[in-house]
Amino acid sequence: MDSFIQLLQGFETALTWWNLLYCLIGVTIGMLVGVLPGLGPTTATALLLPITYSMEPVTAIIMLAGIYYGSLYGGTITSVLINTPGEAASVITCFDGYPLAKQGRAGTALGVAAIGSFIGGTVSIIGLAFIAPPLAKLALGFGPPEFFALIVVGMLMVIGLMGKSLIRGLISALLGLILALVGMDTISGAVRFNLGQDFLMNGLDFVTITMGLFGLAEVLIGLEERMNAGKPAKVKGLLPRRDEWKPTLKAIGRGTGLGFLIGLIPGSNSVIPAILSYSWEKKIAKDPSRFGKGAIEGVAGPETANNAYSGSALIPLFTLGIPSSPTIAILFGAFIMHGLTPGPTLFQTNPNIVWAIIASMFIGNLILVIMNLPMAGMWGKIAMIPTKLLYPIILIFSVIGAYSVNNNLWDIWIMFIFGIMGYLMKKLDFPIAPLVLTFVLGELLETSLLQSLIYFNGNVFGFFQRPISGTLLVISLLVLIISIFTSLKKKRGILASDVEM
Amino acid sequence: MKNSLKFVIAGLMIMSLFASGCANQSNSNSTGASQNSEKYPTKPIELIVPFAAGGGTDLVARALAESMKTELGKDVVVINKTGGSGAVGMNEGLHSKADGYKLTMATREIVSLPLLELAPFKTSEFTFVGNVNRDPAVLVVSSKSKFKTFEDLVADIEAKPGKLKFASAAAPSIYGIPFAQAANLDFITVPFQGAAQAVIEVLGERAEFGLYNPGEVTAQIKSGDLRPLAIMAEDRLEGDLKDVPTMKEKGINVGWAGTFRGLAVPDNTPDEVVKILEDTIGKAVKDQKFIDFMAKQNLFIDYLNAGDFEAMVEKDMKAMDPIVQAAKKQEN
Repeated sequence: MDSFIQLLQGFETALTWWNLLYCLIGVTIGMLVGVLPGLGPTTATALLLPITYSMEPVTAIIMLAGIYYGSLYGGTITSVLINTPGEAASVITCFDGYPLAKQGRAGTALGVAAIGSFIGGTVSIIGLAFIAPPLAKLALGFGPPEFFALIVVGMLMVIGLMGKSLIRGLISALLGLILALVGMDTISGAVRFNLGQDFLMNGLDFVTITMGLFGLAEVLIGLEERMNAGKPAKVKGLLPRRDEWKPTLKAIGRGTGLGFLIGLIPGSNSVIPAILSYSWEKKIAKDPSRFGKGAIEGVAGPETANNAYSGSALIPLFTLGIPSSPTIAILFGAFIMHGLTPGPTLFQTNPNIVWAIIASMFIGNLILVIMNLPMAGMWGKIAMIPTKLLYPIILIFSVIGAYSVNNNLWDIWIMFIFGIMGYLMKKLDFPIAPLVLTFVLGELLETSLLQSLIYFNGNVFGFFQRPISGTLLVISLLVLIISIFTSLKKKRGILASDVEM
Repeated sequence: MKNSLKFVIAGLMIMSLFASGCANQSNSNSTGASQNSEKYPTKPIELIVPFAAGGGTDLVARALAESMKTELGKDVVVINKTGGSGAVGMNEGLHSKADGYKLTMATREIVSLPLLELAPFKTSEFTFVGNVNRDPAVLVVSSKSKFKTFEDLVADIEAKPGKLKFASAAAPSIYGIPFAQAANLDFITVPFQGAAQAVIEVLGERAEFGLYNPGEVTAQIKSGDLRPLAIMAEDRLEGDLKDVPTMKEKGINVGWAGTFRGLAVPDNTPDEVVKILEDTIGKAVKDQKFIDFMAKQNLFIDYLNAGDFEAMVEKDMKAMDPIVQAAKKQEN
């Protein structure tokens, strides 16, 4: 009850016109950087941090936090419209969002994503406001071994997204893992596979790779079709059909829970809840074959999950003083630059500031959903731009995006190389998503494995002596064994699915 | 036919856009170089932080950048270039144009990485402009831990050699190795990327202890989640941690271990530019805003001018030698 009164006081601060204005500015910038592939929330918050020095601490952090959660709304848009994820979590949204757009239902995909994002985001902020401290302590039990097991589960789910040929999917997934090895090993500092080039010492960048594999490859494939684009269907409105409401809302509910729980784990990223949510939706759907062809739950679940993640990922920051992702690290920096030390003491020393920020996040999410629902229709019309205009636009945005990652021309070349690779993979019917997903998870997998083994003195069975990691790994093993067994008996595999994409 | 022609034209236009973009860039660079000898700085300065945003080095850099901006009248923009325990960012800073528009935060890794053969540069390739901060390492345990004093912990490590775990913020640990050497202790070092991740291990009691900079654990010490047991320095600290004993007081013959943070530029940077930067840093560390910020975050100001900083770095290269030998031995 105490927190509730404090939250109301927080609203009092957050609702001053000045703070409202900066909340609006923050979420708008967030939307924009989410839409522009390449420019992510991390870059945007880092760039805008110095501008906030002269502001009141509350106002500054309200704006920077707005960029952070706003970008997750925007990231959906490019995934749905041009099949190019604006940020890692939206890779999954391409699966069903883009097919929906092709069917002229881009508006629906975006509308559902906006509603899901709003629900997921709001629920996780409620969690942040009322039940954060005990949850954060619980999340401390999650160390490298648990992390490793969680990523193994995530990887296993990737197999489920491999499309019609398991072998092709595995090749693609392994390619992703290999690419994740490029650069400096985080445990020993040894440099691997950099071909003697300094610019590869830091490894390949996710944004560069995805823009090549998805965006550029899409353009190349499109060009081959001699631009005879049939008129795209009309944008059919923002809301799902009546019969789609129920499954959509259920998917949103599951995505919220999943995203919230994973956000609590320090060091996790928003890709993990998105993958898990998508796989979950597909697994429990009555007709899983719809997935990859425009299943509305395939957009609703993951998009909700990554927004629920964004709220609960702030819990370790507020309760333990630990920034759990690069963007949150910049928010952490912003607190400190304004003379506040994030952490458990913040609630005691500066309660008015913390509660005002939390209150502003409710307001920000509301602004975002108001902005997004009508705008979804507007954005949706982009899908109707004739390809001869759209392709050059994608090309220009990809090049600018790749360059802005590190301000390095090499990244543009790398993007072109991956564009050609993506084109070849599409021609040869290799699925691209497993490559991107294993690439994102690969580094986490390697680091957490090595750290765990140091903890266990090199004993692999150590994983099974810990309840969480043991359970997760045993489940993964069972699923793997059963699916190999069933596919050997020529039955439908549990994992290797029936879905073409 | 008509369509493909359009496409070719569009392609050519895009290519020419690129070409003109590149040309503009090189033009502006060359004119910039001729001007800056007259009245440096004429444009915003970039400050490379070779570590992630939100970390100790990043905070010092951002506070310093803010105070330098007041002195120089030009923006000082912090850019985080992470990777390779700092090697990537430092290497980029070293190989950027030596015109004073790209500065590098020089931390102790600028000494340790080349010695460990983990960096594609030599420490001597930098010109050291000024040091602003020097922090010792503070040894912390979880407040739920059974170790109430430094002696408790040392006794337990001695009783169970090779069993207790130390969550290191980097690999190899330039704090853990001298501690182990001086006290003749045997413990397991688990490396993490940065203090934020390592601290979770100590809070979650998977690792028994950690050695971090005071600024990195201020929040957790203040909230009572972490208990500081000792610091690795010649003298006790001021401020919040004044009651924490030094390891020397506890009978362990270990000197200062920690990190320093200053500014470096490539060694062919014009002298007048270095001089302007040196003076700017000298003034920036006296800025009350900077002083207040550093004190609040438990970051300790230790200003050294260019000459003294260079001498300190050279001295540290010698001090680091036994640590480097130990680290190499661990690898083999």
